[in-house]
Amino acid sequence: MNTWVFDFEDVTGGYGGSVVVRGLTGAVAAGQALCVLGRNGVGKSTLLRLLHGFLPLARGSVRFAGRDLAGLDPARRTALGVSFAPQERIVFDDLTVRENLTLMRPGHPLAALAPYFARFPRLAERLGQHAGTLSGGERKLLSLLRVLAEDRPVALLDEPSEGVQSESVRQMATLIGERKAAGAAFVIVEQNLELVEAVADRYLILDQGRTVQAGDRSTLRRAELVAHLRV
Amino acid sequence: MDPLLVTQALNVLYEVVTLAVIVLGLAIVFGLLGVMNLAHGEFIALGAYVAYVCQSHGLPYLAAVPAAIAACALLALPVERFLIRPLYDRPFDTLLATWGLSLFMRKAIEIGFGGGYKSLKIPVSDSVLVLGTPFPAYRLLLMALCAALIAALLLWYRRSVAGARVKAMVGNRELAQAVGIRTDRLARDTFVVGLCFAGLAGVMVAPLVSVQPYMGLDYVLRSFFVLVVGGLGSPLGLLSGAAAIGGVESAMSALVDRTAGYSTVLLIAIFFLWRRPHGIFGRS
Amino acid sequence: MTTSLARRKFLIASAAGTALIGAPAFIRNASAAKDFKIGMFYAIAGPAANLFGPTQKACAELAVEQINARGGILGRRVQLLFANGDAAVADATKSAVRMLLEDKVDFFLGSHNSAVREALVATIKARVPYVYTPIYEGGECSPNTYVIADTPRQQMETVLPWLHKKAGYKSVYLIGNDYVWPQVTNKYAKGIFKKLGVSVLGEEYVPLGAPNKFEEAVTRIKGAGPGLVLITLVGGDNVNFNRTFAGFGLDKNILRVSSLLEENTLLGIGAESSNGLYGCMSYYSSVDTPAHRAFKTAYRKKYGDKAPILGLIGVDTYAGVKFVEAVVTKAKANAAAKVKSAANGITFASATGTMTMRNRHVDKDMYLAECKGTEFQIVETFSNVKSGQTCA
Ligand SMILES: Nc1ncnc2c1ncn2[C@@H]1O[C@H](COP(=O)(O)OP(=O)(O)OP(=O)(O)O)[C@@H](O)[C@H]1O
Ligand SMILES: [Mg+2]
Repeated sequence: MNTWVFDFEDVTGGYGGSVVVRGLTGAVAAGQALCVLGRNGVGKSTLLRLLHGFLPLARGSVRFAGRDLAGLDPARRTALGVSFAPQERIVFDDLTVRENLTLMRPGHPLAALAPYFARFPRLAERLGQHAGTLSGGERKLLSLLRVLAEDRPVALLDEPSEGVQSESVRQMATLIGERKAAGAAFVIVEQNLELVEAVADRYLILDQGRTVQAGDRSTLRRAELVAHLRV
Repeated sequence: MDPLLVTQALNVLYEVVTLAVIVLGLAIVFGLLGVMNLAHGEFIALGAYVAYVCQSHGLPYLAAVPAAIAACALLALPVERFLIRPLYDRPFDTLLATWGLSLFMRKAIEIGFGGGYKSLKIPVSDSVLVLGTPFPAYRLLLMALCAALIAALLLWYRRSVAGARVKAMVGNRELAQAVGIRTDRLARDTFVVGLCFAGLAGVMVAPLVSVQPYMGLDYVLRSFFVLVVGGLGSPLGLLSGAAAIGGVESAMSALVDRTAGYSTVLLIAIFFLWRRPHGIFGRS
Repeated sequence: MTTSLARRKFLIASAAGTALIGAPAFIRNASAAKDFKIGMFYAIAGPAANLFGPTQKACAELAVEQINARGGILGRRVQLLFANGDAAVADATKSAVRMLLEDKVDFFLGSHNSAVREALVATIKARVPYVYTPIYEGGECSPNTYVIADTPRQQMETVLPWLHKKAGYKSVYLIGNDYVWPQVTNKYAKGIFKKLGVSVLGEEYVPLGAPNKFEEAVTRIKGAGPGLVLITLVGGDNVNFNRTFAGFGLDKNILRVSSLLEENTLLGIGAESSNGLYGCMSYYSSVDTPAHRAFKTAYRKKYGDKAPILGLIGVDTYAGVKFVEAVVTKAKANAAAKVKSAANGITFASATGTMTMRNRHVDKDMYLAECKGTEFQIVETFSNVKSGQTCA
């Protein structure tokens, strides 16, 4: 199983003494997306934080391209090749849209992002505006764009479509699909089944911090998903 | 124009810009990192003593600039690592720790240089005619340097990528880490730069004041007032705070006397603590 | 039953406690009875400590060493006990009570400000003689209290007429710290200016202990254009004022007299800023008398190259200890009445020569110094100047 670009095994951890997720295992190969689903509060965001080193693992391991990431802080994991988009506080409010996109890549021209701006013209018009003044949906778009612009082998996205209108969600799905085609891998926490169906190659359904179902595209059934997600 | 009026106006300006530079280091460390550094004044003293050492070894005064920066950085690095970093987000403990540091630094200076006053020769001792009135050249030069320094720092903070990263770290530390900023290193560098600015301020004012181990105490209270009025984290706030505190104090001292200057400044600070705890431009 | 048991326990505990507290005190007193103890208050910790403290201590200890080498006072070895005089009044009072009751000192010696002096006088209540050494405003006539200090009369009556004769200044500006010594000194000086026909153009005071700056005051002085500035600023303020004064070029036309200008302060003012600056005190380290040469040799021999810098406030503790020796030896006791009658007219050693106690203040030689760089050049000596204080 050395073809995974990003994989994790028996991931267990939480906040302080309290364990929120237990024994989670998953993997993605280049060009694939792993979608993580589950009801509110089951530990999806916690899993992503554990995967990126914001929280320490109580047990288990996380690997990028076969390399164990233990002991690396989030910034180092990012530098190695894993992008991260959180669910909340997703952009730098005090920076402009342009600065949000170029902060870590000062040499790169914005022109390279033209194809993205073509899909989201609202952002292109607001390059000089402080990100803190964007609407909620615009911020989600900016966050996704930032990750896509980083162009790393792996991206961890926490509910990218939350609060985004359906037309824009479709655009997001297209963009993610294009990046997958170019060889990028994604771990996406998502509630929007349309987006999940559009991009997921593998999936993981959590309940109370444990995996209740896992599988690949062929076993993905909307009715089952809905049943699992029912409160 | 009345020559005395010209001189007093220059005095007010002088007080404002030098005060802004004196507070700069504190504003960086407090405004950006949330660290209230009670040893700020002692780093000013350190800069002044480095200048004294340079001058008494016959070096040109400018040599004190890199020397003071090096000395402050050398001390600031271990201080950040072993005193500040373990105490981030614990403001009261940081206050105690830096207070202890200030005591230690004062004692160390006293042991190294003795308790008495040191005097530094003024690097430029002539007077320059301003609107027909002579004004000490070094003070004018200092005003220009301070203004340039503040402008450069402002521009850097506003325009440079590094400035944007600092802003990013201050505004959203988690996201900054997520995009790949090594926030612990950036915080360390910011802290060191802040203290180097304190040392630089020390080099600049040393020829004009009494240099002695306790000199740092003279700066702490006034610097704090500037932050109270100016609010945190905004360079414009820093300037307006310095203008309010230094300008009002100097103007009142010119119009009435020093005591009136202190009372007014105290009233202003109390007013701000009471009505506008986030400073002139502050939001809650 | 329980109460009586409790009571017995209490009695035993109290008895044991009394024994514990009482016995060592008794032993201590018995074994140390021979020592002549001087309770000395000086600047151990506080704003003045780094400037004066080391010299105050070193000079007093030098005097004690010399006295003990000759067999002490009335055959008793002299011992100095120290307490901080640069402390809050309440703390100084506590130290004085301890020295009185526990240490049972034979004499008090103090080098500190007037607020502490008043508190000590009130605490000691004349039970033990007390000698006060540093420069002050005058007026201390409490019973069993003796003063070595320079007084406003001794400083002003010498330098102001002398400079007037030499330079003929016609007007003066007064600047000082806002407390009693500068105000009393200026009041005295204004009397002299009136006699000399010198007009006072301005008088201002800045807070004591605040980080003062003097650009505005110097500009005001420049506008007033006096022939002389009389400075009663102390410490860092004295340094900053004089540096600013010269920085604005006023030193070229305006003379300055500073009434507390000692060696440390002049070092702070620096050579570039000391042009036209005068002072008049009973001590400068550059005074050239045989006695002072001997004093300095002994001081260097005892403390070496790292010796604390010599200056008025420091060396007056030397004279203070020497006064204690002289007066107790003459009175053959430290009882108030005997000391009082022995003190009047008594002559004792100072760092530069001798001083004579009259009316519980000192008539002394005053030196007028002109600053040359960071050195004091003595330009005139006034012999045996009266203190102007007459305590009954
Ligand atoms: N910082 C924290 N400290 C303590 N407990 C937390 C913290 N953050 C989350 N939790 C708890 O951990 C559990 C899982 O939270 P998490 O945010 O991972 O849920 P989620 O699956 O992402 O939910 P949602 O769909 O609402 O985003 C919740 O019970 C939550 O209360
Ligand atoms: Mg979540």
